Amino acid sequence: MSGNAASGVETYILFTVAGTTYGLPSREVRHMEMVDKVTRVPNAPAFIDGVVFSRGQVVPVVNLRARFGFERAPYDLRTRLIVVQSASRVIGLVVDSAREFVNIPPDQVQPPHEALAGMSGRYVDGVASIGDRLILTLDLSRILKFAENLSMDLAG
Amino acid sequence: MPPRARAYEGTGVTTDNGAPFSDFLDDYFAECDDHLMGVRRLLLTLEASVGGAEINRNVLDELFRHFHSLKGISGMVELRAAEDLAHCLEEYLRALRQGDVALTAEGVGLLFDGAQTLEQVIAARRAGTPAPAIDALVSRISRIVAEGARDRAVATLPGSPQAQGEPSGSVRPAAARWRCTFSPSAELVARGIRVDAVRRRLSEAGEILNAVPRVTTGGAIAFEFDIAADLDEPTLAAWRGDGLAIEPLAAPERAGSPTPDAPAATLEPAAPADAEPGQAGRVAPSHYVRVDLTRLDDLMRNVGDLVISRARLAETLARIERRVPGSEWRAIQENAVVIDRQLRTLREGIMRVRLVPVGEIFRRMPFVVRDLARESGKRVRVELRGQGTEIDKFLIERMMDPVLHLVRNAVSHGIETAEERIAAGKSPEGTIVLSAATAGDIVRIEIADDGRGVDAAAVAARATAAGLPVPQGALDSSQLLSLLCAPGFSTRDESDRASGRGVGMGVVQAAVEELSGSLSLETTPGAGTRFTLDLPVTLAITDALIAIVGAETFAVPQATIREVVEVPVSALLQVERNEMTTYRGAALPIVRLGRLFGLPDSGRDRLHVFVIGTGAAALGIAVDRIIGQREIVVRAVADALVRVEGISGATDLGDGQVVLILDPAVLARHMRERPDRVFTATGAAR
Amino acid sequence: MPKILIVDDSATIRKMVRSSLRPLEDAEFAEAGNGLEAIEQIALAPVALIILDLNMPDMHGVDVLKFLRRHQGWSDVPVVVLTTRGDEASRDTAMAAGATQYLTKPFSPHVLLAAARAVLSDAAAGPRV
Repeated sequence: MSGNAASGVETYILFTVAGTTYGLPSREVRHMEMVDKVTRVPNAPAFIDGVVFSRGQVVPVVNLRARFGFERAPYDLRTRLIVVQSASRVIGLVVDSAREFVNIPPDQVQPPHEALAGMSGRYVDGVASIGDRLILTLDLSRILKFAENLSMDLAG
Repeated sequence: MPPRARAYEGTGVTTDNGAPFSDFLDDYFAECDDHLMGVRRLLLTLEASVGGAEINRNVLDELFRHFHSLKGISGMVELRAAEDLAHCLEEYLRALRQGDVALTAEGVGLLFDGAQTLEQVIAARRAGTPAPAIDALVSRISRIVAEGARDRAVATLPGSPQAQGEPSGSVRPAAARWRCTFSPSAELVARGIRVDAVRRRLSEAGEILNAVPRVTTGGAIAFEFDIAADLDEPTLAAWRGDGLAIEPLAAPERAGSPTPDAPAATLEPAAPADAEPGQAGRVAPSHYVRVDLTRLDDLMRNVGDLVISRARLAETLARIERRVPGSEWRAIQENAVVIDRQLRTLREGIMRVRLVPVGEIFRRMPFVVRDLARESGKRVRVELRGQGTEIDKFLIERMMDPVLHLVRNAVSHGIETAEERIAAGKSPEGTIVLSAATAGDIVRIEIADDGRGVDAAAVAARATAAGLPVPQGALDSSQLLSLLCAPGFSTRDESDRASGRGVGMGVVQAAVEELSGSLSLETTPGAGTRFTLDLPVTLAITDALIAIVGAETFAVPQATIREVVEVPVSALLQVERNEMTTYRGAALPIVRLGRLFGLPDSGRDRLHVFVIGTGAAALGIAVDRIIGQREIVVRAVADALVRVEGISGATDLGDGQVVLILDPAVLARHMRERPDRVFTATGAAR
Repeated sequence: MPKILIVDDSATIRKMVRSSLRPLEDAEFAEAGNGLEAIEQIALAPVALIILDLNMPDMHGVDVLKFLRRHQGWSDVPVVVLTTRGDEASRDTAMAAGATQYLTKPFSPHVLLAAARAVLSDAAAGPRV
């Protein structure tokens, strides 16, 4: 997370959305599950697939493909629900696949390039290269922020 | 002449298919729980009497019996480790009772360790995990017993064999003595009066000095109870009416002299184990039955099915209404109303059975605190208040761990050591107060300590180090709580067992919120901390009709529905922008739920309509089908991302999928105010 | 229809005994958790067999047995006492007091069943000399 004192290597959970690999600090992740049926919530924002029960709680499901401006894809066997916690909110993120954990030392995370295009750019707070791979680290609170002003956030 | 004697040795261990009594493990565990509870309570009493006050022999006797019973049943289910350990503890108690070994603080500590290990062995069997080793403990105890047998220490315990038969406990010399004779009969049994009930009643009224079975001259059996009690005329009359023959005993008999006819039964005064402080003398009669929670759930489901059948009956009757003469119809309606009321009473009654006193959680806490305090070298006492406050059994089970966690935190992080406390001008012994009280439909559970309070600066520093965002400036208590509960605040490598394996406050908060409750914190540095858990008294359980719209399923709370009617689409009239139909001679506006929520039309030719509201405010909400009526548990839909007007919550119909619960009143209001608009997540129009 | 009375202060063991003896044809069961209740059961209805635990808190099984044996009408009821391993003293006292058989805990179901069957058929064979 931007701005924190470097306290050592951070473990990230890596997942893919539309071909790009993203990472979230594992301390923000409660657990991961396969997605079962998600109940639609009428008139929720377009990037919300609906709600599911996770460990007894009603959890909103954010479709990251939709959130980042990509076309939705049907769920398949690799689709995962990453249940995250931000402040006291528990939210689920639907991603194309999620499998890996890596340790990334803070000095390997660069700030995102100005030219990073696409809607996902606003949610990215860092870029790391691991070997020959590029991983975009995400700012969870921005992903989950839901503006009162709907015009920008509602996809068509 | 007695029949010829024969002997069978139980082989105990093996049969062809392994443990023979494995079907009874649930009973075994339940009985172990009871015995271990008793052991814990008695050990605390014993500990208080070491090195000073007289040791009550009854405590030793009861402890002995508990271990003896635990040994017996553990043997039957072939839990060898438990059997051996219980046997070992039983031997130690036997030695203590006989005065072979003197009671020391170390010895009591050994008993505590033994009881705790025994508990762990049994719990491990229950969970299928490896059990702790018992060998070291067993050899320690055996050694003490062996040494005692050698030394034959003379420790006179008051109430030792010479005085046996004289029941200890509160003897009231001034109370009158009576002999109550009870002859069991089939007629009394039919009235629920058996010897056990009689004994209970007598011990509640006074003190039972003696209980002797006799054979009367007519050859029948009678039980003679000698009691010391002050009995008034109404009580005497009532007891005589229940089959007791009562006469005053002329002179105080020397209790304990066995009559030539029959051996006496030794009786103890009923121990008020769960009586509140300040209510001394109130003995809790145990007219309780242990009920398997799944049976209660089944009962609830049966009642739910009854409600569905009742609804179907109502629909059927509605269809034939016009063919039934008016007077007959009224009779049917009256019957229906009575059945409705009785069903509701039944359902509420079963709900109440699920209510359990919070004391079930609190009971364990003194033991936990004692263990922890001992380990950390602190002195802590526990005060329990409001143990009789009732909450739903479901909540009890979910709250056990969070409360345990908070209590452990209070001991390990809250209460200071005796030296620190003295230096701070406090008493060396810290206090933790656990209290519960109801206010309306909320139960408030508080865990308060008079320790060092939460150090805001230290929490902020720790949060920052863990990479958590920390607000600027002084932290108020809710910000402090958020930090304490944030994931990552307490890490896994905290080897502090006392904090509950390092799982952190986040789990406590999550558990509370999952139950639609709330957690809050108050703290004063140097003075103490209080955590408050507010929980609903019962789960929000309500009757709802389950409706299908397109591919979506919704639940509509029954209480809001006046009636359900079936309407052919052809009967809908378009009036300006609204659809309407005739209903009971008046016009009823219809809202298609699908359209309201932006769902596609289903194309059906008949719609089911819920009628909500009355008179001019009546409104019909149309769905494709109503598939039944269910009792549902309401779960909150809290997050802003999915907080939609018209949805009041969510439920699970049993398959783990979320079913949204409608709020028809909101829909109705929306209809009245802006009939052409579609809802959105924040209430703003699209 | 023989009535079998199961006397033990442990509810779990009473269940286990009942389950072990279920194969006995036509048997009816009654239970008591202490000596007084056991005596009450016997007072209320004839009993064909008593399974009697010795170590009970209020009234020791031996005392229950002595009470029964002292009185005509119950002096012939077969009694199988349940003793604890290592408590030979109680076992011997029980046998001397008139127990029909003893069984040491922990026991397995078919041992108990065999003992019960043997005792019931003995009793059915008629009074002894």
